[in-house]
Amino acid sequence: MNAQPSPKKRFSKSSMLLFFLRGSKRFFVAAVLFSFTLTLLEMLIPQIVSFTIDSVIGNKAPSAAWIAVPAAWAGGVDFLRAHVWVLALAVAAVALLAAGAKYLNLYCHDKAAETLMCRMRDTLFAHVHTLPYEWHNRHDTGDIIQRCTSDVDTTRNFVAEQLLLVFRIVILMFLSFFFMFRILPKLTLVAALSIPVIFLYSVVFSFKMTKRFTACDESEGVLSTIAQENLTGVRVVRAFGRENDEREKFERQNSLYTTLWLKLCRLLTLFWTMGDLISGVQVMLVITLGAVLAVRGELSAGQYIAFVSYNAMMIWPVRQLGRVISEMSKAGVSIDRIRYIMNAPPETDAEDDLCPPMDGDIVFSHVSFAYDQGQEVLDDVSFTAKGGRVLGILGATGSGKSTLMHLLCRLYELPQDGGDITIGGVSVRRIRRGWLRSHIGMVLQEPFLFSRTIAENIAITSEGLSHEEIRAAAQTAALDEAVCGFPRGYDTVVGERGVTLSGGQKQRVAIARMLVQKAPIMVYDDALSAVDAETDAAIRREMTKHFGSATVVLIAHRMTTLMHADHIIVLDRGRIAEQGTHDELLARDGIYRQIYDIQMSAAEGGQNDA
Amino acid sequence: MHESEQAQYVRLKHFGIPRLLPYLRPYRRVLWLMVVFALLGSLTDVLIPLFQRHALNAFVAAQTLRGLPLFVLLYVLLILAQVAVNSVTVYAACHVELCTGRDMKRASFNHLQTLSLSYFNQNSVGYVHARIMSDTNRIGSMVSWSFLEGLWNIAYLVGAAAVMLALRPTLALFVLVVVPVAVLASAYFQKKLVGLNRKTRELNSRITGQFNEGITGAKTTKTLVTEGRMVSDFSRTTAAMKRLSVHTAQTRALFYTIISFTASVAMALVLWRGSLITMAGVMEIGTLSVFMSYALGMMEPVRWLVSAIANLVTVQVNVERFTRLMETRCDVTDTPEVIEKYGDVFHPKKENWEPLHGDVEFQDVYFKYPDGEEYVLEGFNLTVPQGTNVAIVGETGAGKSTLVNLVCRFFEPTAGRILIDGRDVRERSQLWLHSHIGYVLQTPHLFSGTVLENLRYGKPDATMEEVEAAVRSVQANSIISRLEKGYDSQVGEGGDLLSTGEKQLLSYARAILADPRIFVLDEATASVDTVTEKRMQEATARLMKGRTSFVIAHRLSTIREADLILVVSDGKIIERGTHQELLAQQGAYHALYTRQYEEEATKRVLD
Repeated sequence: MNAQPSPKKRFSKSSMLLFFLRGSKRFFVAAVLFSFTLTLLEMLIPQIVSFTIDSVIGNKAPSAAWIAVPAAWAGGVDFLRAHVWVLALAVAAVALLAAGAKYLNLYCHDKAAETLMCRMRDTLFAHVHTLPYEWHNRHDTGDIIQRCTSDVDTTRNFVAEQLLLVFRIVILMFLSFFFMFRILPKLTLVAALSIPVIFLYSVVFSFKMTKRFTACDESEGVLSTIAQENLTGVRVVRAFGRENDEREKFERQNSLYTTLWLKLCRLLTLFWTMGDLISGVQVMLVITLGAVLAVRGELSAGQYIAFVSYNAMMIWPVRQLGRVISEMSKAGVSIDRIRYIMNAPPETDAEDDLCPPMDGDIVFSHVSFAYDQGQEVLDDVSFTAKGGRVLGILGATGSGKSTLMHLLCRLYELPQDGGDITIGGVSVRRIRRGWLRSHIGMVLQEPFLFSRTIAENIAITSEGLSHEEIRAAAQTAALDEAVCGFPRGYDTVVGERGVTLSGGQKQRVAIARMLVQKAPIMVYDDALSAVDAETDAAIRREMTKHFGSATVVLIAHRMTTLMHADHIIVLDRGRIAEQGTHDELLARDGIYRQIYDIQMSAAEGGQNDA
Repeated sequence: MHESEQAQYVRLKHFGIPRLLPYLRPYRRVLWLMVVFALLGSLTDVLIPLFQRHALNAFVAAQTLRGLPLFVLLYVLLILAQVAVNSVTVYAACHVELCTGRDMKRASFNHLQTLSLSYFNQNSVGYVHARIMSDTNRIGSMVSWSFLEGLWNIAYLVGAAAVMLALRPTLALFVLVVVPVAVLASAYFQKKLVGLNRKTRELNSRITGQFNEGITGAKTTKTLVTEGRMVSDFSRTTAAMKRLSVHTAQTRALFYTIISFTASVAMALVLWRGSLITMAGVMEIGTLSVFMSYALGMMEPVRWLVSAIANLVTVQVNVERFTRLMETRCDVTDTPEVIEKYGDVFHPKKENWEPLHGDVEFQDVYFKYPDGEEYVLEGFNLTVPQGTNVAIVGETGAGKSTLVNLVCRFFEPTAGRILIDGRDVRERSQLWLHSHIGYVLQTPHLFSGTVLENLRYGKPDATMEEVEAAVRSVQANSIISRLEKGYDSQVGEGGDLLSTGEKQLLSYARAILADPRIFVLDEATASVDTVTEKRMQEATARLMKGRTSFVIAHRLSTIREADLILVVSDGKIIERGTHQELLAQQGAYHALYTRQYEEEATKRVLD
């Protein structure tokens, strides 16, 4: 993706915004320009009206050249007096131009906003995908998603709505004052005096409001949680017969929440109506004083009407300014939350990393590893998985089996002093990650399927796979029969939007997915734990045919799965307790033997209760 | 989500208002107040431009200031009146919005407390939650704000038209002739926008979904090296979103542009005809000016009016879903006689409650789930004397909860009877039964609040000694002492601040504290550490001792110790007997047990 920043760059707030603005900046600039044009055109109309009233209906000479010249060109005042429709047409013409400017303004504005939004989303999505697995593990999924969705919304609103609105309001104020000033500076001063009052009033009040809003939102959150917990815990509520207490709990919070909102409403009502009062009085002052000045001969009727129009155009936006500014103050937090993700360093391969052949021996030598400082998960582990052979790993939950695989495909990095892992003699640290991972097929105990069709899930690594190939893989994984039982067969969508597969079915889809990958290294991490022993055996029989020249790592509990491996290691609390072939291990009479005996006797049904 | 998006167009009689009447009636006074004041408020809006007319006519044109103090006085009074009227209207609308919202939330929540569990099996938590929280909010805002907006704008339009007609009918027609254009344009574009907005919401939830999947599936994506594909798929969705949004923007831009242009056209018409009349000396400049104000100001209300109507239409789906929830009847209900004697859920008559001994008997029970087609129990008979431990075993999804659901009367048999202490369960109230049943779920569910509140959930009046004894009996004291504030520590939403094992043990203690006569346990399959595992085994044994119990069992120790084992497959009970009997049969139980034994023994050796 070309949207990616260079890996070492760290963003500041503004540099990140500028980075996101690439591609949408010109639309923003155009939007501001059209906004200026629109406002200017809108302000011409009162000029025409003013001219009509003073010079066409009345008989004052046009006061300004910008009216006098086009008026003369249109045939002079006398001509216009006989043909008033020309003036109306002029208004309509200006309005048409204004409409054009308005359309372009709105269009450019939304285009800019959407381009920005699209770029932010794409960049974040791609960036999150380049972050190391370790980063994902360290962060809460819900939090990351929130940063990528609602914080992106807030940022977009900041740039595209609030910032632009401020521009528009400033332009409007500037132009109204300009025109008002040209009419009568004295009266402009009166109009201007109220601006700081309205502005300050709305800023202060809006900030106050924001705090209250937060309190109300939180109280709504609590109410929502009570409802949520009641619904998820409905069986507990029923089983303990606590319906009445639940009702009271909900009702208490429901009233509290309503009371808080009502209080906020009182404040809001006060805010709005006080704003109405202040601006109403301002308009009244301009109308009254304007009338006084007009009577004194300082203002003509037309000028008076124009002045009042300009004043009216400006009042509402100024009131909005306060609200916008208080909202803008919230954006900083969101921008920082996004910045936190953007500044997390992605995984990158060094220029000279290799793409070596992957069919050689996999050698773990003296591997030690800890996820958190001090808590060793692997302690000096050494073994070899011969190329093209099957390696079995037996170990308890938490013995470090999965960690071995995390390290092998570099989901976690092996620290410099943590020993080494080599494939065909090349250290995994020197192998390109994409190359490494795409050559290691992996089936996990709880596989993750994408919410797509079963066919798409199987073929996700290899586009352009034929239906027959997909189906063949599914047959090997003993999945075909189950899939054909679904009404839509291989086109059945998996997950929330479609059918829910059982644990065993998911594992089998994952196996089929790995089979089509045709990777030279295959890892089964407890991959058949959720299917019964017979199916397990059937799948293994089928799969053994597909192992071919691949190196296979089987992590399992079931002896019947492990015993046919060429080499078996027994992992115990991060160390290798035993290793060898099945026969060697049986002869040793250690843990392996013990487990074998238990499982075999269980299978014969003659077990003693321990 | 999906059902909600599909059912977007719903047409209800009279906008569903009749079905909402019960929630509006308590606020009819406030609603009337809102209506009257809204009309007054829009009247002041209509009147204000007339002051400008008067200033022009009486002072500017007449070149005199006579009457100015009165003018100012009246003007100030009107502004004050407007402010007062508006604040009443706004607050009344807030009041109606919030109070009807609150009442609907309360009603739906309470109603849900009485619905059968089958309702909760058929509807996802998210879906039901949206009925309580967002539908009620949207309906509340419809009956207040959308209504007010519609009313206000109609009143303004009528008022302004009336004033113009009174001042100069011929000129008024030139303005009014443009209004239908604005109405038509608004109706056309609003309809288009509603459709576009729906599509936008759909795409938006898809984008969130993809984000969700991208992040939760990060490990898989990395191991499969499909980052490129994920990213390009995502970009396709965002690009589609961008296209749609820009299209929406163009539509909206055209709409707004047309509305403001019609206003300007109306004004141009006024300027043309008005100037002629004014020059003829029949009309004053002030009147011309006020006409121009109305012309410019009349098109926005048209747009708002239409958008209020559009709102009303889109909220129909919320009204429909909310009222459907309220009309959902319960499958399992107590008869009036039972309620008469034992009380209902919210008003129990505990003085009439008999103690429960613990004999359970299934007599010729037939059962199928309300949403199922096949009978899962056919002529099922089972006698469980007091103190018997019944273990139910089978594969995941085999239908092990059916018996438990019936014993708890979460569902009722299609035919046949279930007897508790020799009497049909239907002869006594659900609350009575539930108060005597202890229930521990596979996924333990705690409520936000303190540890103590959660422990006392089944017995609110338990003394501290009783609580501590219960905690000790499941060896959960170490959990309590580990917590900073002990019993007063918060457990977080759904108990999220505790580990699964801890939640599990606390839910055992909660059940023990309630001291039920019948105990139902859905054993956890999730792997916990060895120490917790051992504690849970002991806690289970302790709970089952001397009580009638039904355990959906996964642990060998629990299964072996049971007095009776039922093996379930495909929803049906295929084997029953004691451990030894079933093993000897060499059937399904044998296979199941063997596999389980293998795993547990292996684990034991390795640990």
